[in-house]
Amino acid sequence: MNRQQVRKEFFVSHRNTFMFSVLCALSLLFAIGCDNQSDNHNHDDATTQSEIQYPYKITTTVGMITDIVRNVAGDKSAVQGIIGEGIDPHLYKPTRGDVVKLSQADVVFYSGLMLEGKMGDVLIRVARSGKPVYAVTQAILDQGDYVMTDEAEHYDPHVWMDVAGWIRAVQVVAKSLGEFDPQNKAFYQTNAKGYLEQLHKLDTYAKQVIGSIPQKQRVLVTAHDAFNYMGRAYDLNVRGIQGLSTESEAGLQDIEKLVSFLVDNKIPAVFVETSVADKNVRALVEGAKARGHHVRIGGELFSDAMGEAGTYEGTYIGMIDHNVTLIARALGGQAPERGMQGKLNLEH
Amino acid sequence: MVWLPLDTWIVVIGALCAMACALPGCFLVLRKMSMMGDAISHAVLPGLAIAFLVTGSRASFGMFIGAAIVGVITAVFTQWISSFGKVDRGASMGIVFTTLFALGLLLIVQAADHVDLDPGCVLYGAIELTPLDTTMTIGRLAIPRAAVVLATVLLINMAIIISFFKELQISAFDPALATTMGINATLMHYLLMSMVAVTTVASFEAVGSIIVIAMLIAPAATAYLLTDRLSVMLVISAVAAILSSALGHLSALTVPRLFGFESTNTSGMMAGATGLLFGFAWILAPRYGLLSRWFHRKNLLAEDPTVTGE
Repeated sequence: MNRQQVRKEFFVSHRNTFMFSVLCALSLLFAIGCDNQSDNHNHDDATTQSEIQYPYKITTTVGMITDIVRNVAGDKSAVQGIIGEGIDPHLYKPTRGDVVKLSQADVVFYSGLMLEGKMGDVLIRVARSGKPVYAVTQAILDQGDYVMTDEAEHYDPHVWMDVAGWIRAVQVVAKSLGEFDPQNKAFYQTNAKGYLEQLHKLDTYAKQVIGSIPQKQRVLVTAHDAFNYMGRAYDLNVRGIQGLSTESEAGLQDIEKLVSFLVDNKIPAVFVETSVADKNVRALVEGAKARGHHVRIGGELFSDAMGEAGTYEGTYIGMIDHNVTLIARALGGQAPERGMQGKLNLEH
Repeated sequence: MVWLPLDTWIVVIGALCAMACALPGCFLVLRKMSMMGDAISHAVLPGLAIAFLVTGSRASFGMFIGAAIVGVITAVFTQWISSFGKVDRGASMGIVFTTLFALGLLLIVQAADHVDLDPGCVLYGAIELTPLDTTMTIGRLAIPRAAVVLATVLLINMAIIISFFKELQISAFDPALATTMGINATLMHYLLMSMVAVTTVASFEAVGSIIVIAMLIAPAATAYLLTDRLSVMLVISAVAAILSSALGHLSALTVPRLFGFESTNTSGMMAGATGLLFGFAWILAPRYGLLSRWFHRKNLLAEDPTVTGE
């Protein structure tokens, strides 16, 4: 009894102290919340002054960017990508190994426009601390009204689907590398120029094969809304079953509407994507079949990730070549079976 | 395998988060509301949607505020339903979080269909990324933002638990007795639930969901097997939390190597480690463990053959 009394008094007499410490802690939390942006301004710019050791390390997120950087940086740099083939970058969870690669890199390139989810947020903060971290699409965004938005003014990150868009990204990479390593600025520009020539060829090829599809059938139905840039660039009517994010669910009505659309317009094929589950697309095929219209699955498109590393489809050019050739052939257009450079293997 | 400074940070941040969750977790386990963390992880969706509609952006801070408010609302609604509707707490938690989650889905489809608003994308952090995101430097040491946030949350939780230890204790075990003693048991409940909501959402934002849900339950449940005193239980749960953070990250680095992979998801391994510790406690606990109960029964049988075991 006595002991309890003592205890009670202890608590009563100390309560004010404890409440005070709670208040202190709360105000600390608030201060951190507010101070977040302002405390990185006086970081020393050691990175820009120090000697660059070749090959310096570049870390990139998605494969499409890795490919650009490899082509532009050449042997001056060792490039590592962290999001591999067949992986959905919207949902990617970095491992400790990826973070080691990011923190040890001299330069980091990522897509931006929320493609990398929370990892993008972190990279934005890392960039503020003075490390050379570049968002390739952010720079495109700053250049004017190229980047597409939806009704709610949100950016569509899938810029690489239009070769002309990715040409801008190549220019961003070349410029950024020139800033990081001014000694080799000309080298990067030359590399970029060579790569851009190939991309211009690819762009012409894509325009030509997509343009060969009869106007009425120029409709691309896919699993999620990743092909808007491609649609705009090559005059293709794009319908995604899911929204922009691979996480949003397709409503029954959306599927019904799309089925009616397929049947009414006699669209011959729909497409699945390598990094998104294909069950919704299969539902479309079943739905159209029930209404007497045979739609086939035209094949697998590369949307958010490229093909297997080391293969032709594992490069940006191969990926786009694969996509446009597959789409053109499935929708009744004219395209060589082996693609632009005769390197494509659509059978597997 | 090389141990880098960032590994130390991951373990420290994991431990801070685990302790911040384990302390209120003890009270949740005692009140049979362990799944509160899981419920909140689903219920935050409408908070994210409304925060997005109000602010028009997906910036982390707005998302955090929205989620925290809905977290507290989840707790309040759960209490209402279980006290007015005479439904058990687990069931009322289930009603509240599924309803809120559904509301969130509707809001997103109606108002923000083309925006990627799923919690995995806009709210949940990843513990592996935390060392990159530093906020202040002390000497030459750059402190990750997550470490500061979680340390603050931990301090607040400790301060609340120490200040209101007696009140929280009595209202956890016997709300009626608490009321007769002049303690406002309902107020204590809301205090605890707000603490849980803020802790959960802050930790979601810093390190992701699975680790938080695990740390709210497993260390507390482990400690519950090892002691009958609340104060000791709190200390043991904190120790178990630290251990599982260190053990989790170590095994995330070493175990995948045995199978030829580089490294794996640390949050998952930390959550797995808490399960492992619980397993040890379940088997080896001095009084309530499987082994000790088995020996106890055997001894009883040896002393008195008329006892039949059960």
